[in-house]
Amino acid sequence: MRAVTDQDRTEHAAQTAQTARTEGTSRGTSATTGPRARDVGGAGEAGEAAGAAGSVGASGAWGAWGAENSVSAGRAGSAEGAMDAPRAPGAGAVGRPRTTGSAGPAPGVAGRPAAAGRTPGYAGHGGQGLAHPLGEPAERQGRPEPADHHARVPDARRHARGPGDGRRTGAGHSDSDGAHVRTEGRADSRGESRAGSRTDGRPADGAGAVNRTGGRTDAGHSAARTDGRSDAHSADARSDGRTDACGDGRADARGEGRTDGRAESAGVWDDGLIARRVTEGGTGAADLVPVAPRPPRPLPVPPLAYDGPLRSRLDALRELVGLSRTRLDSRTLAEAGRVLDEAAARRRLSGQHTVVAIAGATGSGKSQLFNALAGVPISETGVRRPTTAAPIACSWSDGAASLIDRLGIPGRLRRRPVQGTDADPQLRGLVLVDLPDHDSAAVQHREHVDRILGLVDAVIWVVDPEKYADAILHERYLRPMAGHAEIMFIVLNQVDRLPGEAADQGLDDLRRLLDEDGIALGEYGEPGATVLALSALTGEGLPELRAALGQFVAGRGAAARRIAADVDVAAPRLRPVYTAQRRAGLSEEAREEFAARLADAGGAVAAGEAAERAWLRNAGRACGTPWLRLWRWYQDRREPPTGRLPVRTQPDEEATARQRVEQAVRTVADRASAGLPVPWAQAVREAAVRGAQGLPEALDALAAQAGLPPGRPPRPGWWPAAVLAQASMTILQVIGGLWLVGQIIGVMAPNLGVPVLLMLAGIIGGPLVEWSCRIAARGPARRYGQEAERRLREAAAGCGRARVLDPIAAELLRYREVREQYARVRGAGVR
Amino acid sequence: MVTLDVRPQLLEALSALRDRVAAARFPLPLDGAPRARANRDELLAQLDDYLVPRLKQPEAPLLAVVGGSTGAGKSTLVNSLVGRRVSEAGVLRPTTRTPVLVCHPEDSHWFGDPRVLPGLARVWVPRQDTGGSLAGDDPLASEEDPTRALRIETVETLPPGLALLDAPDIDSLVAENRALAAELICAADIWVMVTTAARYADAVPWHLLRTAKEYDVTLVTVLDRVPHQVVSEVSRQYGALLAKAGLGEVPRFTVPELPESAWGGGLLPATAVAPLRSWLVHHAQDPAARQYAMARTAHGLLDSLKSRLPELAAAAAAQHAAALRLTSVVEAAYDGEYARLRSRLQAGAVLAGDALKRWRAYPLDCTAGELLDALVESLGALLLCAVTAADERIDIAWRREPAADVPGLTGHDSCAESAEHRIGLAVRRWRRELEEYAEDEVRELDRSVAPDAEAVAALAATGLLGGRRGRSAGEGLAERIGAHGALRLRDRAGRLLADYLDRVMHTERERRLAPLDALEVHPEPQAELIAALSVLLKER
Repeated sequence: MRAVTDQDRTEHAAQTAQTARTEGTSRGTSATTGPRARDVGGAGEAGEAAGAAGSVGASGAWGAWGAENSVSAGRAGSAEGAMDAPRAPGAGAVGRPRTTGSAGPAPGVAGRPAAAGRTPGYAGHGGQGLAHPLGEPAERQGRPEPADHHARVPDARRHARGPGDGRRTGAGHSDSDGAHVRTEGRADSRGESRAGSRTDGRPADGAGAVNRTGGRTDAGHSAARTDGRSDAHSADARSDGRTDACGDGRADARGEGRTDGRAESAGVWDDGLIARRVTEGGTGAADLVPVAPRPPRPLPVPPLAYDGPLRSRLDALRELVGLSRTRLDSRTLAEAGRVLDEAAARRRLSGQHTVVAIAGATGSGKSQLFNALAGVPISETGVRRPTTAAPIACSWSDGAASLIDRLGIPGRLRRRPVQGTDADPQLRGLVLVDLPDHDSAAVQHREHVDRILGLVDAVIWVVDPEKYADAILHERYLRPMAGHAEIMFIVLNQVDRLPGEAADQGLDDLRRLLDEDGIALGEYGEPGATVLALSALTGEGLPELRAALGQFVAGRGAAARRIAADVDVAAPRLRPVYTAQRRAGLSEEAREEFAARLADAGGAVAAGEAAERAWLRNAGRACGTPWLRLWRWYQDRREPPTGRLPVRTQPDEEATARQRVEQAVRTVADRASAGLPVPWAQAVREAAVRGAQGLPEALDALAAQAGLPPGRPPRPGWWPAAVLAQASMTILQVIGGLWLVGQIIGVMAPNLGVPVLLMLAGIIGGPLVEWSCRIAARGPARRYGQEAERRLREAAAGCGRARVLDPIAAELLRYREVREQYARVRGAGVR
Repeated sequence: MVTLDVRPQLLEALSALRDRVAAARFPLPLDGAPRARANRDELLAQLDDYLVPRLKQPEAPLLAVVGGSTGAGKSTLVNSLVGRRVSEAGVLRPTTRTPVLVCHPEDSHWFGDPRVLPGLARVWVPRQDTGGSLAGDDPLASEEDPTRALRIETVETLPPGLALLDAPDIDSLVAENRALAAELICAADIWVMVTTAARYADAVPWHLLRTAKEYDVTLVTVLDRVPHQVVSEVSRQYGALLAKAGLGEVPRFTVPELPESAWGGGLLPATAVAPLRSWLVHHAQDPAARQYAMARTAHGLLDSLKSRLPELAAAAAAQHAAALRLTSVVEAAYDGEYARLRSRLQAGAVLAGDALKRWRAYPLDCTAGELLDALVESLGALLLCAVTAADERIDIAWRREPAADVPGLTGHDSCAESAEHRIGLAVRRWRRELEEYAEDEVRELDRSVAPDAEAVAALAATGLLGGRRGRSAGEGLAERIGAHGALRLRDRAGRLLADYLDRVMHTERERRLAPLDALEVHPEPQAELIAALSVLLKER
């Protein structure tokens, strides 16, 4: 059986390379490296080729490997490393010698790999493969991700050489160099090297092991080194210092150095992040099960495809996260980001497989069920609690290695069912993962469970009659996952312990509890969780589970449904930061009020009134009788007026009331942000405050310019007539007076009537004209005052709009955009 | 050997302590607050339900509470110990929803009155010799709220001096059940922790065991439902785990899983539970053993107070510190705004905008009344601006403060209008008083033509509020009422203004602090708790 084999290998591995383990640590690094590697590759000739091939995606893949490897290593502890190491190692140990030897094989391998290419992710494996001189391994690697594939393939081969391990070995850290060297040595190889590198992480191992051992803990490094070459390629990605070093040879890779994919990732699905995850262990696993069955040229496994609505929801979610990153804290977005990453990572892995985890409390019989489904005692069962400490994976068909890599399950914990690939066609495409318990006193078990539950496509919850109502199960897992009902199986195990009726009662009660948890039950053909009673011990009910599982797996929709459910769950959590209690926006009323407050701050009303009165006063003076004007002039001379003193004429600094402007801005910002989710309200307020800086000064300047209409106040058309009339009245008085005087002194004929009438007309007419002028001037005066007020108002409103309202509106617009995206994210879910 | 007598001083100290604990409040949502509230409730339960009654009446029967996870077989175990079906057992979980207390008929008076577990209503079950029907049929039981009732069963088979209590699950899905179970366990002299072959590594029971160890109570563990094939192995494993947790010396009983055990609700054969039964009976009847068991739990609890009370006190102190922090934010904001307000007043910020335009137009195109109106309005706007700015600063600072997340503390929206209203009132009142002062001054003048009082008031206000720009108003004022009068008027108006400003800012600050004050977070509880503890420790 394979299992056995794996173990053996493991052991070997162990022996071979203690170092290897060390490496394990470094996942992260390796992942990083991966990416760069490509870049480098690009640079390097062969390498480059690879690089080229590896578009981003490619890199991701590599990264993945690296990651996997490293991860696995980390996790597994040495074991994996060991495993790989062995093969490669064989050579590795030797180091140089191998190089040669290996080289030979490697190439051969390389060739194959291409063909082989299993899963994309695997390139890494291939690398290992190479490391192992064996053809097989090589093949695996070969395949690295299809996407990148081309590029990689080449690499792979090179790797093979790369294995130039000799050096690596020798070098240990230096491996990198060694690697380089090799790489270089074999030009072609380089390509491989990368491949190798990734792979290497492990394979390289032979050498890699050493390198790692070198003690760089970081996966990165290890990886890097291992691959020296690889890194080089990979280097780009993350740049461990060391890596680069190696890399360089070729590579330029380092240059790139930025790690990550993530950053860039934005554009593309694959980020460094993903790569890392994927990375784990892929390689290792593959090796483990050197299960022969692989066809010599397995076709690349078609990656998973999401259907339209889901894809558009994911796009919307990504957009959403991008738009709100600057406004929300990263914690709020973490969940959405995780969903996106997982969706991206899962998408590029096999769509033909469904990863199903078996989860449950300690002692519920998870491992027993696992074994019963696999038909072979793979997972240890026992009365010791807790029994299973690390997840174990079992794959019913080929090509799932990268999926398992993503779970971080090391190669030594991967198994095949007893019958071989084709013996159990019903479950073809199933990858079953036996999880540790989630409720024992061993906390790290729960961490495993929590991590893996986030990555699998479906879950079988195993409960038993004693524990099915445990609070921890329902409150911690089932309730939060209620949205994932469609990808859940809940099986009541150990029904053999229940007498007769009790089993049905127990099952009904379990259904009731699930219902209370809000989990839709898949009864009567509706979508929802499948609830079954069975006994893994006696086999009772097992065929039903098998049938349900077979149907489920054959549908191949679990992964997409899981992602959709993740989005469904993530979206409502974001609700408070994206949806407003009321319609967001700045009402016309609020805008007007803001303008009015600004005008108040500038004193528009008072200025208008003052202008009106001044005009009126001047008009009265202009049309007043000369005698009155004379008297007023005399008065003015006697008593200087108080208010309008010289000060007035100079331009005022701070003529605008600061406090009113401040209050106006605050009020309008409050209005605009009312009902908005807190972060957005904050953003609106900040925009308003930012815009209000310098606003009072600008208003001051405007007021000075627009204060009064320039030039002399306009005069109405009747003005000359009025002045003429007033003048003629005065003339009448004068003529009447002169005439009378003339009569008195005898120059004129005595005629009292006419001159007295003339004088009287002048005396009465003068004030009359003045009075009617004043009445007539009221209209123009008001217009003049209003004009002055309007100018101030408009200036203030324009300034306020440009500086405050527009930024607020822009912020609101951004919010509305985000909300639209959010509706898209949710929309499909609600439907 | 510890002894347990009635000691009035100790009881007195204990009840004082109890009152202090009951008075402790943790209203602010700090990190440790939920924990502190739970600790306080648990401590209260232990004091009320166990420690005080036990110290008062050491002769009362021993109470053994059977606790454990759901499905561990607690009810079956109690039934088997008693030899009769007193508590429902079954396959549906959670099974026990109403706790059942079983005791000898002679002891029933100890539990009938609210001496222990005063919070639970008693449901009496008529004695039935047949034992066939369960109390679940009792109409009383079904009427009462099942989670807040305690069913009392009396059986002859139990020796006097011992009572068994079948508690609900400690990790029940029903939250009230969990709370009730915790409360019941706190009332026990002997903690009987039941676990099973499938559960002995579960985290939840271990938390409980660790708590038991911390309190140093008399503890018994029962490993229930062990399939006979694996009895020795499981038992060994469990023993090893216990030893590792420092509980190696705890009596450990193993009950095998028998066909008649839980699933039919049947009774286990007497032999299966004989060791446990005899242990319990021995402790109930042998005076020395009984004394030991009781005293150990009581003293363990008393000892545990030494660490638990300081914890509570620390939580109380943290509450007070948080309240102080919140208060100081308010005070800093208002003080800052007050300073800014004064400096702006000094700079003549009031004489801007409308008021400035009026002043420019005065007296030719503007009356004194209008000028005064504009000034007063402008002053109100300045005050309102200061108050809202302070509120805004407080909101921002409080948003970062987890303790401020109390409903009502930040909900001041309804007050915004009234703040404007209050400020408007204050400002208008100031104006009226200013006009009265001006009239006084004018009246004292012995000029033939008295200047207009309103104009005097307007000029005084302008001079006072206008800063540099209002200087000419002061000159005008001096011309009208004389330099001496002008100076006096200005001083009086200035003092008046300062008064009003103080009053407005103070009112608004108090308004802002009122909800916080209403939470009554004081520094006293911390000191009182520690003081009560030290009195208690002295009495021991």
